[in-house]
This record gives sequence, C-alpha cells and structure tokens, in this order.
Amino acid sequence: MEQSTKKKLTVAAVLGAMGPGLLAALSGNDAGGIATYSSAGASYGYATLWMLPVMALLLIVVQETAARCGCVTGKGFASLIREKFGVRKTALAMIALLIANTAVTISEFAGIASGLALFGIPKTVSVPLMGLLIWLLTMSGSFRRIEKILLLVSCVFVTYVVAAFLAGPNWGEVALSTVTPHLIPEPSYVSLLVATIGTTIAPWMIFLAQNNVVDKNADESDIVLQRIDTTTGSVIACAIAWFIIITTGAVLYPAGIHVADAADAALALEPIAGEFATVLFAAGLVAASFLAACVLPGVTSSAICEAFGWERGADRSWSEAPVYRGIITVIIVASAALVIMPGVDLFQIMMSAQVINGVLLPILLVFLVFIAGDKHIMGGYKNSRLWNVLTWATIVLITVLTIVMFVLQALGY
Amino acid sequence: MNYLSEMLKLPVVDAAGEKIGIVNDLGIATGEVFPRVTALAFQGPGKTPFMISWRKYVERFDDDGVYLKYPATDIRFSYLQPDEVLLARDIMNKQIVDTQGMKVVRVNDIKLSTTGENQLRLLGAEVGARGLLRAIHPLFERVTVKVAKMLGKPLPEDIIAWSYMDLLERSTKQIKLSVSHKTLSELHPADIADIIEQLDPRLRTQVFAQLDTEQAAEAIAELDDDELMTEMLEGLSDREASTMLATMDPDDAAALIEELDYEKAEKLLRLMGVKEEKAIRDLLGYEEDTAGRIMTNQFVALPATATVQDAIDALRDLDEDFESIYYVYTTDAEGALTGVLSMRSLVVADHTDRLKDLAYRDVVWVAPDLDQEQVADEMTKYDLVAMPVCDENRHILGIVTVDDALDVIAEEHAEDLQIAGVSVGESNAGESTHAFTWFSQRQYWVVVWAIAACAIAAIVVTPLERLDLNVMGIATAHQMITSQGLTALMPISIMPVVLLASMRMVSFVKNSYLEYDERDDEPKPYLGFFLKTTLIGVILAAVVFLCGELMATTLFGEADPWAAIALLSCFKGAAAVIVGTYASAVIYFYVLFRSDEKDQSISGTSLTFAAVLLSALAYTVLGTLPLL
Repeated sequence: MEQSTKKKLTVAAVLGAMGPGLLAALSGNDAGGIATYSSAGASYGYATLWMLPVMALLLIVVQETAARCGCVTGKGFASLIREKFGVRKTALAMIALLIANTAVTISEFAGIASGLALFGIPKTVSVPLMGLLIWLLTMSGSFRRIEKILLLVSCVFVTYVVAAFLAGPNWGEVALSTVTPHLIPEPSYVSLLVATIGTTIAPWMIFLAQNNVVDKNADESDIVLQRIDTTTGSVIACAIAWFIIITTGAVLYPAGIHVADAADAALALEPIAGEFATVLFAAGLVAASFLAACVLPGVTSSAICEAFGWERGADRSWSEAPVYRGIITVIIVASAALVIMPGVDLFQIMMSAQVINGVLLPILLVFLVFIAGDKHIMGGYKNSRLWNVLTWATIVLITVLTIVMFVLQALGY
Repeated sequence: MNYLSEMLKLPVVDAAGEKIGIVNDLGIATGEVFPRVTALAFQGPGKTPFMISWRKYVERFDDDGVYLKYPATDIRFSYLQPDEVLLARDIMNKQIVDTQGMKVVRVNDIKLSTTGENQLRLLGAEVGARGLLRAIHPLFERVTVKVAKMLGKPLPEDIIAWSYMDLLERSTKQIKLSVSHKTLSELHPADIADIIEQLDPRLRTQVFAQLDTEQAAEAIAELDDDELMTEMLEGLSDREASTMLATMDPDDAAALIEELDYEKAEKLLRLMGVKEEKAIRDLLGYEEDTAGRIMTNQFVALPATATVQDAIDALRDLDEDFESIYYVYTTDAEGALTGVLSMRSLVVADHTDRLKDLAYRDVVWVAPDLDQEQVADEMTKYDLVAMPVCDENRHILGIVTVDDALDVIAEEHAEDLQIAGVSVGESNAGESTHAFTWFSQRQYWVVVWAIAACAIAAIVVTPLERLDLNVMGIATAHQMITSQGLTALMPISIMPVVLLASMRMVSFVKNSYLEYDERDDEPKPYLGFFLKTTLIGVILAAVVFLCGELMATTLFGEADPWAAIALLSCFKGAAAVIVGTYASAVIYFYVLFRSDEKDQSISGTSLTFAAVLLSALAYTVLGTLPLL
C-alpha cells in the first residue's frame, strides 16, 4: 500500500505521464502559428529567433500553473473561474472563448484546405471530408483513444525539422541570433511579435492543459510528473517554431520573398529548396491544422458546459449531453461551411481570431494568476513569488504589445 | 427579496442611518428542513469582512438595503458556527448532487423566502437556465421568460430543496446535515452508480470513499462502464478493494476481477478470506459468457430424506447477505440433484413432511459450459427464477438467478439494437436530438453523395487555367466547360441509386444476422448467403440497367449519339457497383459473426456507413471513367 501511494520517478512513470502537455503545446502550432512563423522568417530572417526561448519560458509558466491548478483542485479551469468569479464574468469569458475558438477553428479548416490544395485536392472535397472525419473522431467515445491518434498525427511535425535541414542554413548564424535579442523598430515587426505570442500561448491551451490533467485524475503527488510533461511539451513546441523560422529565414529571406500564409510559404520554397521541402511543409501544415481542429471544438464545448454545469465528455451520448455535442457539431459545421463558401474573406476572419485571442489571453491570465494565488483554493501549492512575477510580466507584456499594435494600426501604419 | 444574487452587494445600514458596509454572504443553520438565515456577513470599509448574528441585529430588509437595530458602535461580531454554511462561499456556483433527480448540477442561484418581518429562510438552489440568466442580469431573465411564454414553452424554475441537496466540496463535508436530509449514501446503489458516472474523476473518488464497503460494493457492480469499474477499484487501497470484492456476490466479483491485470487480481484474491477466494476462483475457472461464470454458489440443497423442519432450520441459519432464496433443491445419497421445491410448497407443508414427497422431480438443469444466452432462454421457456447448474453427475455447482439472466437478456437486446442501427440511449432523448440522430443515422448518404459529386466534378471538369486559351479562345473554353459540367451531372444524378442500394444491402445483412438462429458448432452458411445476395444483386442491377436504357432512349434518342452512350455507360457502372456491393454482402455477414465470437459489439450504423462510403468511392471511379 505504501508503494501505491508514493510515486517513484521512473522512466516508465515519466513516459506514462507524457502526452497531455505535449499535445496541448503542439496543438498550439496550428495553421495560424505556422503562417506567423513562416512570415516571420521570410520577412525578418533570423531576427525573430531570439523570441522563441523567451516564448518557451512564458509557455512553461502558463502551462505549469494551469496543470498545477488541475492537480490540486481536480477541477477544470472553467470550473475554477465560475466558482471564484461568478456567473457574469464566466459568461463573458465563455462567449469570448466561443467566438475566438470558432474563429481559430475556421482558420484551421482554411489551413487544411490550402495545405491539401497543394496536393491538388480541391477544397470542396477536402474540407467536407476532413470535417466529417474530425466530427466522427470527436464524437467517438474515449478521449484516451483520441489522444493516441492525435499524438500519432503530431509526429508529422518532424517534417519541419527535416525541411529546415534541407534548407541548409548557416547554423553558426542561427545559434548566434537565437541568443542575441534583436529589435527592429517597425510596426509590422511589433504586430508579428504580438501574433507570435498570441499563437504560441493561445487561450484555449490553458483550458486544454488543465482538463487533460483533471481527466487523468492526477493529484498533488503527480505535480512533478506534470511539470516534466509541460516543460518538454513547451520546449518541443517552441523548437518546432524555431525550425520553421529557420527554414523560411534561410530560403525566402535572402530571396526577398514575403509570404502571407503557410501555403504561400510552402509554394515559395519549391523553386529554391526543391519540391521535397514543399511537400514536407504542406504535409506539416495539414497535420497541424487537423490536430488543432480536432482539439479545439471539444475544448471549447467542454469549458462552456463545465462552467454552466451541463453534462459533458466524449463518452456521453446525445441524450445525456446534448449541449456538449451540439456545440461541437455547430462549431465544426459552421467552420467547414464558412471555408467552403465562396466570397468569404478568410484572411479577415483569421486576423480577427488573432485579435480576439490577443485580448482574451491577458484576461484569462489574470483569472489564472488570481486562482493560482488563492490560498483557499490552492492550499500549500499556491503560486510562488517568482511565478507570480513571471505571469504578471507576461500579462503586462502582452497587453502593452497589443495596445501598441492597435495604436500603430489606428495611426495608419 | 427572493434570490441570493439580489441580496448580495446590498448596503448594510445601522440604526443611525449610516451605511457601514455591503452584504457579502449569508450563513444558514443547517439543522432545519427550510434553514433559517442566521448570520450576515458584510464587507466594511477598507474591505474588512465582518460577521454578525442575523437574529440579534437585523431589524428589517428590503430591495434597497439591510437595516440594523443598533448603531454600529453597539454591534458585537461573531464567528461562523460549526453547523453553519455560508451560502455564497459554499453553495453558490458549486456542484451539488440533486438526490431526488439523481443528477450532478451546478447551483446558479439560491432562492430565499421571507417569513415574518425580519426572517429569511432558504427554499432551495436554483439550477436551471433562469438562475443563470438572472445572475447575468435580472432583465435578461424577465425578457427570456416572457418570450418563452409567448412561444408556448414556459420556462419554469428548477429548484432543488435543501433536503435533497448533497454537498460535494471538501470544505463542507464535515458539516452535519439535518436528519431529514437525503444524502447520496441513502440512495439505491444503482442510482449512486448513475451519479458517480456523471462526476469528474476527482469527485468520483471522493464520493466513492464516503460510501461504506457494502454500498460501494453494490454501487460498483451497477456501473455500466468496465473501464470505470477498474478505475474505481484501483483508487482504493488493496485491503479495501479486497474486502469490497468479498462482500459482493461472487459472480459480480468474478466479472470485476477479470477486468484487472493479473498481478493486481492475484493480490486482491489472496487478501480475502479463504471461502470467498475459493468461490471467486471456482467461477473464474469457467469460460466467459457461460452458465458457470454467471452462476452463484449461494443456494440451498438438502438430502431428499430431510424434513420440512430441517429445511426451514437450514434457511434460518443462513447469513444475512446470502443471495435471495427462490427454491430449495434436494439431492440423493451421492449428492446428485433429484428434485426442487418452491418456497410456497415449503411454507404450506407440514413440518414433519419429507422433502422427497413434496419435491418436483422433473428438474431442469444446465451444464456449466452452456452459453449464457441459452441459459436465459431456458429460464424464459420454463418460467424459472433460478436455474441449477450441474456437472455430468448431476452434482449442483451453483444456480443462475433471474437478475443475472435479465442482465444477459438486456445485453443481448442492446447488441441487437446496435446492430440494427438504433442506439440504446435514444429512447429517452428529446425531440430535437431525436431528429438529429435520425438524420445522422439514416440520411447521411446525402452528405456522402454531395462530397462524391464534388469529387466527380473535380475529375471531369477541366479548370479554366489548364485550358490553353490562346488555342481555343475564351468563348469556346466556357462552352467546353459547360458541356463537361452537364456530362458530369449524369453519374452524379445516378449515384443515389447506388448508395441506397448499398444501404438496403447492409440492412438485409443485419436482418439475416439477427434472424439467424445460431448454433455455435455448426458451420455458418456463408456460401449460401453469398449465392443468395449475389443473385439479388444481379437482378437489381439488371433492373437498374434496363431503366437506364429506357431513359437513354427517351432522353437522348434524337440527340447526339454520344449522349445516350455516356448515360448508358453511367448506368452500366451503377449496375456493376450494385452487383459488386451485393456480392460483398457476405463479408459484412462474416464481420458480424466474427465480432460476436470475439465479443466485441459492432454498431450497425458504422457498417452501413462503411458500405455507403465504399460504394460511393467505387462509383466515383467507375462512373467517371467512361466520361474521360
């Protein structure tokens, strides 16, 4: 009995705990993320590389806090917001989350469409088919199985590493720019900075990270394992972003090609880095968008149902959890339909998604930092001073950058 | 003043008319059916929290504030009593169990009621949509309620009385609730199991830990989900788990142990008493889904020579948790089964009568390796509530009781329904979900058709940018694309016939499977089935083709000859796919039998879906080939 309560840090235990944090961080590298990273590399070369170690640290802080809250309370983030801040603030947060996540899901479907279009599949075929597949996957019972499939899908991210090596960058220069901060006083550089933060630390990742821990029924004794999981997940996710920037930075930046989205980048790679790099890049884009499109509707619906006390869970039937399944279905159908519909400005939707995310993130982080600092909720596991400072610094940083971006846009840059 | 959400943030005014703070929380005494509000918590200047006694200090209250009897200087502060609960802190927004409706819900608001000038009582927790809307803004609620009334679907309040609430939070668990309070642990184990399934994993373990061993044992046996069962069992310490298994009926315990991994199972078995361990191990020796596995060894068998008095004495000596007794069995000197007596015949008989004179000799019994479904069938046929299981020498090994037989029948029924393409939970679904389920299970072929149509269009129609405009000019190009599009319509319009045919095929297979009276030892009639379905396919294909020929001559008789040829070749493709689909019916038939043998349940809907998808794919290829 002693042995069962005291958990040992064996290799098996660590590997067993791996997954949720990795998945949460990886699904942050979605269509929007890849687009942002590619255009960062194409426009500024290696000048944005130094941000990624910083991003990794911030991501670790946020994800660790969320996972720790889950371990201690056994409740999801939505539950905690509702119980600490009441109905009104929760309703606001949930409406914002619903809108933001639907917009992000739309951009994932757009990513799937443009990625598969590179393989010659028209979007009228690819989007409904993928939509159906995603819907079936999210409706089909156990989360464990979904998680396994998604982890398998996320292996495709290796393609970006391969693509980076195919691009043949100057590794010495890369290493140097990674450690030396480099600011370019340009409005587009600032907005790229905001976009990078917004896509690396997406609001829904907080919900996902915490829900995963709660579903696993991890408790205080699992905090160490969760830390390892979230740290590796965050580092790997940022490393992939790093490789994407290197690829486009090494190939497109010297050629002076600017790209607006990931499919552009993939196409632009072809004449310079060869057809293989394009295929890898496109495959990565499709897999990343698919992964995020699978995760997003479920996370959104689960958070809303949790906050308002409706039944939820992938293993609940239509009659048991109509709202849960309804929200998922509506998000998927609406996003897929919008992407197929002609005459809809997808770029505008993607941009609004990023903006809503940018506004939502500091608010959610404030909720998070108050919850994690509450002794009544967290007991002995409340935030340390360092963690509080780091989280507040993140909040201030994002807020300031977002405001700067808005001001610059308003001034007409 | 009716709701807590409206009470909060009201100003607190002392006798001098001075505002000394705003209402923060209300404390209630938990001992009553409708608990009185006994404490007022308010936030004074500088955000300092205070608590005072409601009865002593509050004079009156209305929509604008709470008025105290004394000036602020004369007020003495108090502390939360052990039997008091704070409404806003402990109940509002928290998850509770509704022990009447058997659900886990979140409290959206709390309804209070005024009794007398300055007395407030708790009526219950509002858990419905109205509480939510009110908490966002009272105006919201009023508008929605009016609109709902106009639509003819009034929105009632959903209130759970205090006596039917069970609090789940750790911090409120120690509070002693009133005697009339119905807590979770008083519910029927089957209801407890339902509630446990609704909870988050952490609360699940907590709630489970509160139950006593016997309740926990019964509740765990009632859980529907095997995975959940093992999860709950793994949450317990080994000793607790083992005690719990020992208190369960041996057949339920055996079913549960089988789900565990070998090491854990062995450990738990070794920890329990010798008698229980042996009972469970004996059952585990029989194969799954047989009479041996679902029987219990708790039955009463006496020598045929014993008297009625002996039998009654034997029954009196049984343990309290012994399985219900339906029959008393009699045995001969070698211990072989000779007869059976009902309880009734025992009760009405003289105490000195011999059992062998009263017993019914022609006993029906089954062998331990008989399939459980057949056991249930036998019990239905002979109208028995318990069926003895004997070895080849007619020595009784155990009995299968009616509750286990009913489980088997329910399981079978659910499997059959699933294969027929109806989900079990559907019966209690609401209207709207019903319509949706119906669509997604029966009419999704429309979606498949639309997607396949897009694919055909993409294959047949040449995109404008691929055409060499310098050679043909823009007008010719448009004309060419138009005629290609119209040609593509041919296979697209014929495709529904193919899809519907393949749906019919699967339902034919399902019906044949459900009607097939299975005998495990006989080989399955695959060849016959193959010939039968292929014949049907050929006939259907011929009909489709002839209809096609008819259409081609009426539509395009006078037109360019290529049009009639194209249409006809589309019909040929359809006929070919139909023959192929029906010829492959035997594969689905085989899959159904195979999944039954391996004891996996397969959903009929997914089979149909696979068939529709395959035929859509096949027709997309075959139907467009002649057009290229």
